[in-house]
Amino acid sequence: MKRSIIAKIIGAIIIVLVAIIIIQKWTYNEFSGRTTIRFWNGFTGPDGRTMIQLVKRFNAENPKYHVLMQRMDWSTYYNKLFIAGMGDRAPHVFIIHTDALERFVGADFVRPLDDLTSSANGVDVSDIDKNVWEATERDGKHYGLPLDIHLLGMFYNRELFIKAGIVDDQGNPAPPTTQEEFLDAAKKLTKDTDGDGKNDQWGYVFTNFIQNIYTVMNQYGGTFFANDYTESTINNQANIDALQFCIDLINKYKVAPTPEDIDSWIGFLQGKVGMVFAGIFMLSDLSRQQNLDFGAAPIPLLGTQNAVWAGSHNLCLRSNLSDDELEGSWRFIKFLSENSLDWAEGGQVPIRKSLRNTDRFRNMTAQSEFGKQIPYAIYMPPVGFGTEFAREYNFAIEKALRGRTTPKDALDMADKNIEKVIKHYLENYKKYR
Amino acid sequence: MKQSFIHKLANFSFMIPYLTLFFVFLIGPLIFGLGLSFFRWEMLSPAPPKFIGLGNYQEALIDPYARKALWATARYVVMAVPVKISIALLLAVLINTLTDSHQNFYRAAFFMPAMITISVGGILWRWFYNNEFGLFNTYLSKFFGIKIPWITDPDWAMKSIVFMTMWWSIGGAVIILMAGLKQIPKRYYEAASIDGASEFEQFINITLPLLKPILLLVVVLNIIGAFQVFGQTFMITRGGPEYSTRVMVHYIYDTAFHYYRMGYGSAMSWILFIIIAIFSTLQFRLSRGKKQNA
Repeated sequence: MKRSIIAKIIGAIIIVLVAIIIIQKWTYNEFSGRTTIRFWNGFTGPDGRTMIQLVKRFNAENPKYHVLMQRMDWSTYYNKLFIAGMGDRAPHVFIIHTDALERFVGADFVRPLDDLTSSANGVDVSDIDKNVWEATERDGKHYGLPLDIHLLGMFYNRELFIKAGIVDDQGNPAPPTTQEEFLDAAKKLTKDTDGDGKNDQWGYVFTNFIQNIYTVMNQYGGTFFANDYTESTINNQANIDALQFCIDLINKYKVAPTPEDIDSWIGFLQGKVGMVFAGIFMLSDLSRQQNLDFGAAPIPLLGTQNAVWAGSHNLCLRSNLSDDELEGSWRFIKFLSENSLDWAEGGQVPIRKSLRNTDRFRNMTAQSEFGKQIPYAIYMPPVGFGTEFAREYNFAIEKALRGRTTPKDALDMADKNIEKVIKHYLENYKKYR
Repeated sequence: MKQSFIHKLANFSFMIPYLTLFFVFLIGPLIFGLGLSFFRWEMLSPAPPKFIGLGNYQEALIDPYARKALWATARYVVMAVPVKISIALLLAVLINTLTDSHQNFYRAAFFMPAMITISVGGILWRWFYNNEFGLFNTYLSKFFGIKIPWITDPDWAMKSIVFMTMWWSIGGAVIILMAGLKQIPKRYYEAASIDGASEFEQFINITLPLLKPILLLVVVLNIIGAFQVFGQTFMITRGGPEYSTRVMVHYIYDTAFHYYRMGYGSAMSWILFIIIAIFSTLQFRLSRGKKQNA
C-alpha cells in the first residue's frame, strides 16, 4: 500500500519535470534567434494592460525582435533603474518622467536620440508640441521621445451642476472658464444637504497639493528659479498671492473643505464634490465608478495667464546598445509613438498632433478636453534635485493651506530651504558635469 | 580527542549553510553600511565617494528633518508601547478567565487583524480617517456633531497611527502574554484566595511577578518594533501632515532611495541602531538588577 503511494508520488514528480522541460524547450525555440529588447516601466495600473497589448502586437509584427516588459510601482522602479543603470545593466528601453529626466541624464546612462529622430527611419518632431519636445532637451540634446502628456484638468459632477442651475442655454452643465465663474459655481455647489448646519457637499476640493498649487501659481505668473536654476525665487509676490487665493477658497469663500491631498479625491467619487482639479490619469478610476455622471474641461483661468501642471512619460534608451539592440529598441519606440492613440484610451493624451487631429481622439471626450491645454502646459522645474524641491514645496504649501502659517512665511521658509538644497546639489553634482 | 575534533567539525559543517547566508546577507551589509556611513556618497553624482569621517553623523545632529523624524519616532514609542502592553495585558488576563472554547475564539479574533498586510490595512484606515468623507467622521458628525482631524492635524496624526497600530498588532502581544499566564500554576491563586486575597491583590502579587520574564520580552520586542515603525506611517499619512509622522526609518528610506544619499542614510541607520541597542541593554540590565535585588 505504502509502496504504491510512493510510486505514484515519484510518477507525478517525473511527469511535472518532463512537462517543465518540454515547456522550456518550446519557449526557447519560439524566441531563439530573436533579439530580446528589455523594456521597464511603472505602468502597474490599467495602463499596464494597455501597454501589454501594444507589446504583444509589436512582437507579433516584428519576428526579429522580442520585447520583454517588466512593470513595477514607480518608486521601486526608479530605484531599480538607477541601480541597474549605474551598474551598466539598465534595460534597453525604459520610461522616465519629464521631471525626473535631469537626474538620469546626470547619471550618464541615457542615450540622446537626436541622431535617431533625424535619421531616414526617424520621427517627424514637428508633429510633437514644441513645449513637450523641448522639455526633453538638455544641453542641446533630446534624451527621450515623449509617449504622452498627462495634464491636470477639471473633472466636474454633471448632476450637481444641473441641480445647482449651472447650465447653458440648452440645459447642459456649463463648466466655469474664469475665476469669477469658478467662485460663483463653487458657491452654488457648496451645500448643507442634511440640514445639520454643516456643509456636506463642496464646490471644490484640493487633491494633489503640488499639482493644484503649481497650476495656480503659474497662472498668477509666479516663478520658482532664476539664474539657470541656481537661485530660488519661490517666495515672489505672485506665488504668495496665488497661495492666498487657494487659502481663501477654504477660509474666506468657504467652498473647499480642509485639504487632505489626494485622499480628498474620494469625495468626488462619492458625488459630494462639484469640481476637482486632477490628472487625466484619474480617468480610469472615474470610469469604474458607477452612478457618477462626470464631465471634463480645461482648468478655468484663475490668475492672469493660462497655465496647467503637466507630466510626460518619455521613452528612453540605454547609452551602450549594440547595433542590433539599438535598431530593435528604436523600432519599438517608434511603434509605441505611432500607436499612442491606443495608449491614450487608457487615460492619456498623445503628443502627436496628427493623432490628436483624428475623429477617434476627438471621441475620447476627457482626453480631448484636457488636450486643449497642451499649448500652455507647464512641467515641474527641470532640476536634478526635483525630489528635494518637491519636499520643501509640499511642506510649505501644506502648512499654509492648513492655516498654520501665512503664505509669505511659508514661502520664505521654502525659499531658505531650497537655497540649501541648491547649494548641496551644486557642490555634489553640478561641478562634475 | 581526535574523534571529538571530528565531531566538532561535523557539527560545524551543519551550520555552514546558515552561517554563509548570515554573513553574506546580514553581517556583510551591516559592516558595509558602517563603512559607508563615513563617506559622502551621492549615488547619482559622478563624484566618487569621499571619506568625510564623522561628517554624516554631525549632519544628522543639525538636520532639522532628522530631528523631526527622531521626535516623531520618540512620540510613537512613548505613546504606542505602554498603551499597547497595558491593553494587551488587560485583554490577556480577561481572556484567561474564560472557558477554553471562548479563549480560542477571542485569541483568534484579536489576532486576525495582524494577518492583514500593512498595505491593505493602511489603505483601509486611510479611508476610515478621511476628514471630510471618511467612515469615522461621517458617523461622529451624524451622531455627535463633531469631526476629528484624525490625520490632517499634526497633533492628532500620531495618536491616530497609534490607535490603528493597536487594532493591527495587539493580537500578537495578547497571545504571548496568554502563554505566559498559562504557565502560572493555578494552586497559587487557590492558596491566595483561601488566604482572602482579592483578585486585584492576586494580580499584583502573583500574576505580575511571575509574568515578569514574558512581560520583559514583550516590552523589549515592542520597543524595538516601535523604533522601527514604518508601514503604518508610510501607508496612512505618508509621513504627513507637515512631516509630523515621518519617523526615522521613513526618513532613512527617503534619504537613501529618494534623495540617493547613501552615506548619510547609512549614518542615520547606525544612529537608530545605537539608540535601540541602548534601550534594549538598559531594559535587560534594569530587569536583571531587580531580579538580583529580589
